[in-house]
Amino acid sequence: MELNLSNIQHFSVGDGPGIRTTVFLKGCNLRCPWCHNPETLSTQPQILRYENLNKEEICGKRLTVEEIVENLLADKCFYDESGGGATISGGEAMLQADGVKELAEKLQQNGVSVFIDTAGNLPYDAFKKVNPYVDGYLFDYKTDESEKYARIGGDLSLIRNNIKKLIGDGMYLRIRIPLIPDFNTHKSELRNICRTLEALGVNTVDLIPFHRMGSGKYKALGLTYEYENVTPQTAEEIEEIKRIFSKYFNTTVE
Amino acid sequence: MKLFENLRKELAILPPGKRASFYFRYLGYSADPAAPITAARANAIFSLFTEPEPRVYPHEIIAGNEFCLWTEAEEPLFSYAKSITKQYGERDFLTNLDHYTPNYEHTLAVGVPGLIKEIELSLEKHKSDPEKVETLEAMKRTLEGFLQMISRYAAAAEAHKGEAGYDDERLDFIAKNCKALAVGAPQSFAEALQLVWLCYTAFILEDRYAMAFGRMDQYLYPFYEKDVKAGLLTKERAVELLENCFIKLENKDVANICIGGMNVNEKCQVNELSFCILDAVRNCAVPGPNLSARITPDTPDEFLDACLKSIGTGIGYPALMNDCVNIAALKRYGYADEDVYNYSMVGCIENFMSGKQPPWSDGRFDTPKFFDYLFNNGVSAVNGSVGPALGDISEIKTMDEFMDRFEKQLKHGADTYIAWFNNSNNNLNPKYYKQPFLSCFCYDCIGRGLDINDGGSIYPSVHGVALMGVGTTSDSLAAIEKVVFIDKEATLSELRDALNSNFEGYEELRAKLLAAPKYGNNDNFVDKYAVWFVDYLSSLFTRYKTHDGGGIYVAIAANTNNIYAGAVINATPDGRKRGEPLSDAASPTYGKDTCGATGTVNSVTKPDYIKVASGTVVNQKFSPSMFKDGKREKLLALVKTYFKKGGQEMQINATSREVLIDAMAHPEKYQNLVVRVSGFSAFYVTLRKGIQLDILERTQQS
Repeated sequence: MELNLSNIQHFSVGDGPGIRTTVFLKGCNLRCPWCHNPETLSTQPQILRYENLNKEEICGKRLTVEEIVENLLADKCFYDESGGGATISGGEAMLQADGVKELAEKLQQNGVSVFIDTAGNLPYDAFKKVNPYVDGYLFDYKTDESEKYARIGGDLSLIRNNIKKLIGDGMYLRIRIPLIPDFNTHKSELRNICRTLEALGVNTVDLIPFHRMGSGKYKALGLTYEYENVTPQTAEEIEEIKRIFSKYFNTTVE
Repeated sequence: MKLFENLRKELAILPPGKRASFYFRYLGYSADPAAPITAARANAIFSLFTEPEPRVYPHEIIAGNEFCLWTEAEEPLFSYAKSITKQYGERDFLTNLDHYTPNYEHTLAVGVPGLIKEIELSLEKHKSDPEKVETLEAMKRTLEGFLQMISRYAAAAEAHKGEAGYDDERLDFIAKNCKALAVGAPQSFAEALQLVWLCYTAFILEDRYAMAFGRMDQYLYPFYEKDVKAGLLTKERAVELLENCFIKLENKDVANICIGGMNVNEKCQVNELSFCILDAVRNCAVPGPNLSARITPDTPDEFLDACLKSIGTGIGYPALMNDCVNIAALKRYGYADEDVYNYSMVGCIENFMSGKQPPWSDGRFDTPKFFDYLFNNGVSAVNGSVGPALGDISEIKTMDEFMDRFEKQLKHGADTYIAWFNNSNNNLNPKYYKQPFLSCFCYDCIGRGLDINDGGSIYPSVHGVALMGVGTTSDSLAAIEKVVFIDKEATLSELRDALNSNFEGYEELRAKLLAAPKYGNNDNFVDKYAVWFVDYLSSLFTRYKTHDGGGIYVAIAANTNNIYAGAVINATPDGRKRGEPLSDAASPTYGKDTCGATGTVNSVTKPDYIKVASGTVVNQKFSPSMFKDGKREKLLALVKTYFKKGGQEMQINATSREVLIDAMAHPEKYQNLVVRVSGFSAFYVTLRKGIQLDILERTQQS
C-alpha cells in the first residue's frame, strides 16, 4: 500500500516523547488560515519556488509502506535510546487511515513506537482501525466554539466525541492547542477549553505558541499568508496562558 | 560580584611597557655568553623565572600570571636583546615546543624540591657521563629558578599587605601556599592547584602555547577529597579557586582541561571535582580553558546532562570525547595500558600520553586540492602548485580508474607532506635544542638524564596529520560517479572545463553535481567515500614514522583552516565554487546534511575512527531551545547514540542564528559572546567576517 506524503522529517523533537521521525501526509479536511504546513493541505503534488535561494522543490510523493518503514528504521537506535519513535502527522493523517494502519502495524512489529498527530475531524471508524497499533495521539483542539470550528471546516461535536471515545478506549492522548492570536487566546475561551477538556477526561495538554516560520512556504507556493504580520506571543503571554491550563492539566509548552 | 569577575577587570589593565620574554632570556644569556649551549639555555630560563618582578593582583587567591614580563626597557637594548635571543634559536610547534600535558600527577606527589632531589640522585647515577651530567645540571638550574619564582610570589603577596584595595587574608593565603611549595610537596587542594598554576605560568613565561592541564579532576581529587573530609574545603571554595585560575586564560590560550574518562578497569572516573571544574569553566565563560569531557558508556546521565547545560549557556564547552574509540585507537600504538587509559588532550582535541611523550606537532593535508592536479595533468589550474602528471583526464573510463588515479595523487601528496615534516625536524639537532625545564615534567627524562627530545621521554614523539575536507571529497567523488559514470550527463573533460571556468557557462552541469547525493544524509552512495577517505588516508600516513620512531597519527579536523585552504583551491566536482570553504573538520559540507541530526550521525559514524588516533571534530549546532528541560534529554540521547555507533567526538554550539546575525551587525552588544570554532572557542566578535559567516552556515539542526 502507498501513502501520499509531503516529507519525512528525522530528529523531530517536538512531536511526542524522545527522538522521533515525523511522516507528514498530504491532504487535510480543515483550512486553518494560520496553518504552518500549507504544502500539506492539498492531496496534489505542488511546486515550492524559493526565489531568494534560487531553488525549486516538488512537494508530494507516493511511497510504499515498506519504503517508509525502511527509512524510519534507520533511526531505530535513536528511538531506543531516547524512548522515541515515529509520529504520523500531516495534513490530516487519519484521512489515509488504511495506509496509516498498515504503516503503524509494520512499525510496531519492528519495535517502533507510533504516535498519530491528528485534528480528529472525521468519523471514529478511522481511529478504531489504527488504535491497536499506536501508542498515543497528539490530538488538536483548536477552539471551544462550534461556529469557529465550522469556519475552518471542522465539526466540534465530532471532535469532542472522538476525544471521549479515544479516552474511553484507553488510548494515551496529548491534547495540543495552537495558540492563535485573536482566534482562541481570549481568556474566557481558554477557560472554556479547559472546562470542556476536563469534562472529557483529558489530563495532558501541550500548548503550541503561534509562529510565522511557515510564511516562507506560502510565498514559495504563490499563496498569501493571512498571518504574515501577526506577531507571536511574548514569553510572558505564553506563561500567563500556561498558568491557566496548569490549574487543570499537566501542561507543557512546545 | 564574584572574585573572578573583579580579577578579570584588574587583569584587563595592562602594565606599562611591552611583553618581552626575550629580554629576560637575554639577561640570562648575556650573564655567560660563552656557556655551552645547554647551560646557556638553562641560564636564560633561570633568568626568565627570577628577573621579572612577580605581580599579585588584589583579587587573586591563586598567584601566577604573565604580566611580570612587561618591561619598559628601551631601545637600543630592546632590539639588541631580541637579536641575541634569536641567535640561540628555539624549537617551534612543528618541532615539539608545546601542546603538551605535563606529568602533574608526579609533580604534585613530590613537589619541586622533590624533583630537584630526583635530579641529584640521577646525577650521582650518571656522574661518569658528562653529557647526562650537563643535561641534568641544566634541568636542576631551571628548577632552582622556578623555586625562587615561587618564593618571590610569596614575598610579593606579603609586600601588598595593608595596601588599599588588597585584602590581607587573600595575601596571607597566597603567601602561605607559595611558602609551603618552596620547601616541599603540596598538602592541601589549594597548594596543589597553586603548584599546577605556577607550572603553567612558568611555561607561559617560556612562550609556550596550549600547555594542557591534563586530567585535572583525577590528579587533584585526592587533595580535594582529603580537604573536604577534614572540613577544610567546600565545593564552593574549590570552584572559586579554580575560577581564579581559568579567568586568567581569557582568550589567550587553548589550554585543554580533561575531565571524566575511564580507568584501566574501564570504570567511569567522574567525581565531585569533575563537576567543580565544569562549573568553574562555565562560570568564567571565557574561551581559553578548552574543556574536554571523556565520556564512557557508564558515565552517569547526570554528568553528561551537566555538560550539555554548560554547552547550552553558549560557551560550547565541554567538547565530548568518546573514550572507547580514543582508547581503542591509542592501543594500536603499543603504549602500556596504564598510560593509554590515562590519556588526555592537548590543543583542540589531540590525544596525548600525559607526561610521557615529547610535545605534540601537527599539520594539515588538503585532500580536495588533489582533484585539481588529477583533472589538469599535474598542474593546478588556479594557483601554480604542482602534483604528479598522470595523463589527460579523458583517458579515464571508469569510476574505478578514477579512484585509482586519485589514490596515486594522494599517495604522492602524503610522501611530499612527510618530506616537509622530516625536513623541518632534521634541521634541529636534539643535542643543541634541549628543553631543560620542560624535561622535568616528562617521565623519565630525569631518571635517564636525557632531554625530552633526545630519548628522555619513555615514548617517542608523534605527529598528527589533520585530513581536511572529508565532506568536500566524498561529495565530489559521489557527484563524479553519479553525473559522469552513471547518468553520463557529462564527460570528465567537460567537468574539467567546468571546474577550470569556475562553472561559468556550466550552470546546468553544476546544478546536476549539486543534486548528487551528499555526505551527512545516511546515503551509502556517498557515505562509502567517507569510509574510504578514512581507510585509505590513514593507511597512507600510518606507514611513516617520526624522526625518533613514533607514530604518524591522522586527525579528521581542520580548525578554521578549511576556510584558508578553500580560498586557494580550485572549484571541486561537488559543485563548490573556487574560493569557497572546504567542508569543516569531520562534519558534512555546510548545509548539505538536510535529514536532521540523526541523519548526520548515521553518516558520520560510518567511517572507522579507531584508525584516527589523533581525534576528530564533528561540529553540531542546535538552537538554544534544545537545551531547555524536556528537550535536553533528547540531545543527551542523541549524543549517547552517536557514541554507541562509534562516533569519536562532538562539539556542540548552542548559539541561535538570530543572535549571530545580530552580533555581526552590532558587535558592541556581544563582547562576551563565545562561539566554538572547530576545536576551540573564540569570542565571536573578534573573528573575521568570513569565519563568522562560516559558523552561520553550519547547518542548524532542529
